[in-house]
Parts: sequence; C-alpha cells; structure tokens
Amino acid sequence: MDRSFLADKDVISASRKFVCIRLATYENAEENEVLKGFFARGGNLENTVFTLLTPDGKTKLVTAGRSPVWAFGGVRGPGINTQPKEPIKKMGQTMEAIALAYPGKGKAVQGLSPLPYLADLRLALNVSAADRQPLVVVYSENVKQRKKMEKELSKVAWSEQFIGRAQYVPASDASEFKSVKSLKATSGFVVVQPGTFGLTGEIIEVIDASTSSAKLAGLLTKALGKHKPSQLTYDQHRRAGSQAGARWKSATPNTDGLNHRGGSRRPRR
Amino acid sequence: MLAISPDITRKERIMKRMILLLICCLWFVPQASSAQQVPVEETKSKAEKIAWHGTWKGGLAEAKRTGKPIMLVSAAPQCHSVPGVW
Repeated sequence: MDRSFLADKDVISASRKFVCIRLATYENAEENEVLKGFFARGGNLENTVFTLLTPDGKTKLVTAGRSPVWAFGGVRGPGINTQPKEPIKKMGQTMEAIALAYPGKGKAVQGLSPLPYLADLRLALNVSAADRQPLVVVYSENVKQRKKMEKELSKVAWSEQFIGRAQYVPASDASEFKSVKSLKATSGFVVVQPGTFGLTGEIIEVIDASTSSAKLAGLLTKALGKHKPSQLTYDQHRRAGSQAGARWKSATPNTDGLNHRGGSRRPRR
Repeated sequence: MLAISPDITRKERIMKRMILLLICCLWFVPQASSAQQVPVEETKSKAEKIAWHGTWKGGLAEAKRTGKPIMLVSAAPQCHSVPGVW
C-alpha cells in the first residue's frame, strides 16, 4: 500500500471525521469476504484494498481499488511510496467533502468510543511492528475488570495526546503472551515493545489494572515514551527479515496476483 | 589597461561566485547527509497518524454508532512472507 497518501497531514486531519478501519488481508475469512465485496478482480482478493464508504458500510463513495491512486489518481506500480501532490490533495479535499455530507450524530452519540482493537495478540505484535508503534494489551481474566479497564483506557486513547500513537488488543489468558518475554502480572495495561519483525515482544511496563483514566494518561505517556521504533528502511527490513528467517504464515491463502498474466506474484501497491 | 580591466572584473566576479558556491556546498552537504541517515520511518513514527480500528466488526459498529463515514484499508502485514512491514 502506498504510504504517501495516508501519511499526509490533511488526510490525517480529515480522517478524524471518519471511522478508519484497517484490516489485515488474508487473516480472517469473514473479513476477506467483506473486502471482496468492495474490490476483487476475477473474484480474487488482492493484497491491498482501499475505499471510502457510507456509515452503514454498504455503499462505496469513491472507486475502490488497490490504493487511493485508483480513486484520486497518481502513479500506480510496485514499490511506489511517493506521489505527486495533486492526488494527495484531492484525497484530503474529497474526504472533507464526504465528512460534510455525513457529519455524524455529533453530541447525540451515546457513550464512549470503544478501543480500536486488533483481533489478537499474535496479529497485534505484527501490526505494531509494521506501524513502528508500541502495543497496549488490556489484560485481565476477569471480564468485568477488563470492561472497566477498557472504559478508563478509552477516555485516554481517543484524546488528542494519544490518538493514533499506539495499537491496542485485549487478552484474557496468560497463554496469549507466549511470544512476549517475562510477563509476571496476572492483569494490567501491558505496554509492549514489538520485536523488529513482530513475531515477539518485550514488556516495557505493566500499569496496574485499577488505574483510573486520570492517572493512566501520565503513566502511559512515560511507558509509550520508552518505545524504540525500528531504524530499518523498508528494503533493509526485508533483507534482514529474510536473513533472520522471520516468516509469517497468513491465516487464509494469499490470492494476490492470481488474475495477472504471467503469474507474477510480486506484491503491488 | 582599459581593455583588460573589465575582463579582470568579470573573472573576479566568477571567482567570487565559485567561492560562494563552494561555501554553500560545504555547509549544505553535511546537513543533507546527516538528514539522510535518519530513517524515514523513524521521523514518521512520532508524527501524527491515522487511528485505525483493527476489525471490520468493531469499526462498522462504531461507524453506525457515530454516523461517521468509513475509510477502509486492507493490507497484508508482510512482504514476501517477512512480517513487521506493510
């Protein structure tokens, strides 16, 4: 996926007026079907998908495709991560226009926004590594306690200070931490440094499960500040991963490239 | 003498420009190379980013609850089976 569109400050600003959903392709059969409903040439799910939708998730508001280039123009092709300014500007402007047409319910919305959870800890480590962000695991075996923790953390996670700065995932059992070194606590907000390739993790801090949102903000700031993002460039990461034997097996078959003549399966953005 | 004088002035001007250019280069090159040594991803990591819901179910429920439109993106978190990269 071309990252230049999604890293643009006007696009990020407009994204606050949207609910942004980023799925991991080939990791969930049900989600694969949802994605295929929006974009699947020849009925095959491709590596990347992009579109904008109405709030009910049923109607496409722009042309769906492999990346924002399909809707807003720009340069298509593998390995492209920079675009002319014009299509990026067009994306920001289109999103602002859509946000005006679908302004949301505003103050009529009841309750807090839920935490933007990832599906499970294994995937969350990978995604956190890919985003070069820390991971916060809301960990408790007790459902009631976990709900309370989510409520407190949600007040913090969506604040201006923390929005988009970390990944989140729930955990209810110690066995889920098998890839995370030396967890001794039986509950808490577990802040994790993902390994370079997202296959392992190390604990940065465990914040007590009973911490209120008021205290959580300060403690989380300190913990997230200890995160050290990988210094590798995209190509260095790929090379280092190959050499280290870091491999990822997707949960469902990778069908990218099945439509193309010549059978090239090189991922395209 | 009068015929030589404008030529010398021209040469001096060219020399001055070359020196100025050299100074600019000497000043700019270390700045540029040190900037290149900082990985792009590192500078981006602390910048503002989009806040993503990681599941369709969770994101769709939130869109219905708030009435906000959806930006949907999907990508495999691996490249040639190497994880930790989009």
